[in-house]
Amino acid sequence: MNTVLSRANSLFAFSLSVMAALTFGCFITTAFRDRSVPVNIHVSRVFLKNVDDFTGPRERSDLGFVTFDLSADLRPIFDWNVKQLFLYLSAEYATKSNVLNQVVLWDKIVQRGQNTRLELKEMKTKYYFFDDGNGLRANRNVTLTLSWNVVPNAGILPLVMGSGHISVPFPESYESTKSY
Amino acid sequence: MFSRFNSFPTHMDYKGQKLAEQIFQGVILVSAVIGFIYGLIIEQFGWTVYIMLAGFTISCLLTLPPWPMYRRNPLTWQPIVPEMPETREKSQENLKKKKHK
Repeated sequence: MNTVLSRANSLFAFSLSVMAALTFGCFITTAFRDRSVPVNIHVSRVFLKNVDDFTGPRERSDLGFVTFDLSADLRPIFDWNVKQLFLYLSAEYATKSNVLNQVVLWDKIVQRGQNTRLELKEMKTKYYFFDDGNGLRANRNVTLTLSWNVVPNAGILPLVMGSGHISVPFPESYESTKSY
Repeated sequence: MFSRFNSFPTHMDYKGQKLAEQIFQGVILVSAVIGFIYGLIIEQFGWTVYIMLAGFTISCLLTLPPWPMYRRNPLTWQPIVPEMPETREKSQENLKKKKHK
């Protein structure tokens, strides 16, 4: 503490320790908070195609097309330990070959300061809803769920499932693919 | 080149060092508490960090330069004893005698 440099050193070290304590406080004040909010999903249109899956074994597979409306108020999730949310809409269903299939259809990043009221109408899926066989046709129970990753300032990276999912019956027949 | 810098006095006396440490710890802790509460209320952790950094800057200004208030208690050294060549020799002789005994 006798020279400027030694004072600067101890000041800096002390500030860093206090900053670490503050960050831990930020984590501990939000660690046990429930980050689930109600989500309203409505599916307006579903149809199926039976097309060549070029990524797979070159057999005809089921490709589902889902158009959905989504509304949720994400404002309660954004406390002071949340930087952004990674939302994703996933479909879950069972087929004869697999008990559990999970496909991510759509995702969105909501950052702090952006609009937290989601009112999405007539959204198309971002990613292909391919089944690895013909398990989508006449599947009575395909469940759509919106889940999100909470990206925090400090602490754990929780994975939260939104409350409110919807079960969609898929049609019995394929939409006719035009061949040119 | 550095001799000009070295000519600036940068030291503090012992009580001044203690005072400086108490001042910077107090300023940083108070700013941290204020920042934590403010950030918790407005739900923005960034403001906590900004207030904390403001406290850091203030304590830098307060304690890094050796302000006069940190040198109010200079050490009282013993007065310089005039060195006589005779007394020095005598004391050395005394030491030698003591060792022999």
